[in-house]
Amino acid sequence: MKGNIIKYAQDNIDTDVIIPGQYLKVHDYAELATHAMEGLDPDFHSKVKEGDFILSGRNFGCGSSREHAPIALSHSGIKAVLALSFARIFYRNAVDGAFLLPIEIDQDAYDGISEGDEIDIILSTNEIKNITKNQTYKMKPFSEIIGKIIAAGGLFKYKPDQD
Amino acid sequence: MGKTLFEKIWESHVVVEKQNGPSLIYIDRHLVHEVTSPQAFDGLRMNKRKVRRPDLTIATMDHNVPTNDRSLPILDQTSAVQIQTLEKNCKDFGIKLFDINSPNQGIVHVIGPQLGITLPGTTIVCGDSHTSTHGAFGALALGIGTSEVEHVLTSQTLWLEKPKSFEIKVEGKRKNPHAVTAKDIVLSIIKNIGTGGGTGTVIEYRGQGITDLSMEQRMTIEAGSRAGLIEPDEKAFDYLRGRQYTPKNYESLVDNWKEHLKTDSDAKFEKQFTLNINNIAPQVSWGTNPGMTCDVTESIPSPDEFSKGDPNQKKGAEKALEYMDLEPGTPITDIKIDRVFIGSCTNARLEDLIEASKVIKEQKISTNVKAMVVPGSQMVKKQAEELGIDKIFINANFEWREAGCSMCLGMNPDILSPGERCASTSNRNFEGRQGTGGRTHLVSPVMAAAAAIKGHFVDVRELDLS
Repeated sequence: MKGNIIKYAQDNIDTDVIIPGQYLKVHDYAELATHAMEGLDPDFHSKVKEGDFILSGRNFGCGSSREHAPIALSHSGIKAVLALSFARIFYRNAVDGAFLLPIEIDQDAYDGISEGDEIDIILSTNEIKNITKNQTYKMKPFSEIIGKIIAAGGLFKYKPDQD
Repeated sequence: MGKTLFEKIWESHVVVEKQNGPSLIYIDRHLVHEVTSPQAFDGLRMNKRKVRRPDLTIATMDHNVPTNDRSLPILDQTSAVQIQTLEKNCKDFGIKLFDINSPNQGIVHVIGPQLGITLPGTTIVCGDSHTSTHGAFGALALGIGTSEVEHVLTSQTLWLEKPKSFEIKVEGKRKNPHAVTAKDIVLSIIKNIGTGGGTGTVIEYRGQGITDLSMEQRMTIEAGSRAGLIEPDEKAFDYLRGRQYTPKNYESLVDNWKEHLKTDSDAKFEKQFTLNINNIAPQVSWGTNPGMTCDVTESIPSPDEFSKGDPNQKKGAEKALEYMDLEPGTPITDIKIDRVFIGSCTNARLEDLIEASKVIKEQKISTNVKAMVVPGSQMVKKQAEELGIDKIFINANFEWREAGCSMCLGMNPDILSPGERCASTSNRNFEGRQGTGGRTHLVSPVMAAAAAIKGHFVDVRELDLS
């Protein structure tokens, strides 16, 4: 899965800035997307392209449990968020609704990948290739059931009795 | 080796255990509100599924309900639709709802304990990240997202990764418990462990600093972990006794809880932090996450002082100071405020309102300040009115509102204007949380009330709070 990076080099990006509270009444996902990241980066909507990835620091998606956060990012075109760590609810919201992939990375990947870099996420080998810089980093593998939920296309498509 | 309280509750709720992955956990109570549930009910309808245990599911409306006159129609059409949708969903699926006109309506985390729905040793979930509040009673209470809400509605279970156990020991005794509150303890903890310090863990709060707290004070404890727990004791059992939904066999449950709901003396925690509260001061957050907090006697730190060499923390602090329009070196007590919000699931219980009212002593709020009190539930409001607390606030020119989440998250009309600075008893100071461009300082109810009177932060230890 290839895409370009939008980098927010900071920790603790909370769901209030990913989608501010006043939009939690909006049920039209396309409209929700126009407000994605509005609290942090008002230019996000104009610069994001279909297939882009977000790269950020520790504790991404902390705060409010709003599933609107991964929905707004997903409908903006974001296919994955790469972060040093995630808050639990955001992580599960992203996976359960099959909105985007939350990818845990290490410090090498975080330092090595810059804004605009083209990268390739290779889930089969748990590797991230930086095509722009010709570097390769490790990603943390998904736990078994999380991997199965992702492969099934979301929590409600996952059938545990088929294990 | 012994077990922690968390491990005991977890193990007694495992339905399916998987190696190297989440376990399927049984959920005893599911609390539902209007904002994170509509898509979950839509999903049930689409797949022709029922609610598995409507009798264990309780709903209320709190996030976007207006807090002014309830006899008036709701002007915000999208809010009105969300509220009507919850009414329809509860009717269609047979779920008990405390609607906007119910005497039991209120913030879901205030009414759960108040109605005796929250019980020790149970698993409780809600599509809301403040669900950890119920852990004050020794319940394993987790915030979940909307897909998980749908999963619990349809199966009464949840796939959960087992969190790590984290012991936070609060030692010592506060010198002035009216001025230095549970809110100051929890802000001190977050200041020390960081806003992400609890991520991936279940915190068990222990020690005299915790057992000394009343139940309403214990419900202040929220720190970004998956859940927080306090071993239930007589105070917890007394609080829940005789409430509207307290089970009939309550005393036999209490006997069982006394025996089982405790961390064994030889249990090991995976992470540990100790805070001594003998000398802690009232806390004021200055930045844009709860970890950016200092003593009321201190000055705004520079990004270098705050970050201690971590570049991401430094950048975060620089951004926060710019957003908050604050200069390093400014004494906290020099910061002037425009608004005061006493409310939220953290600090809108009867005791919070009583303590805050003691600051007022027939004074009026500063002419430059607009202040409001939003009780956590209609029941809290009624109890406060019976004690005449409402009059104390109203005479001081506070607005006295109906129950709801209100300005904690700025979904209803109660919001800050861009640039306005607010002393708030809520639990999040993220950018734009209380309204686009609004600036939030997290404080205790006593600190908020004192700031309303003076127009700037004051050290409430210097006031007579008898």
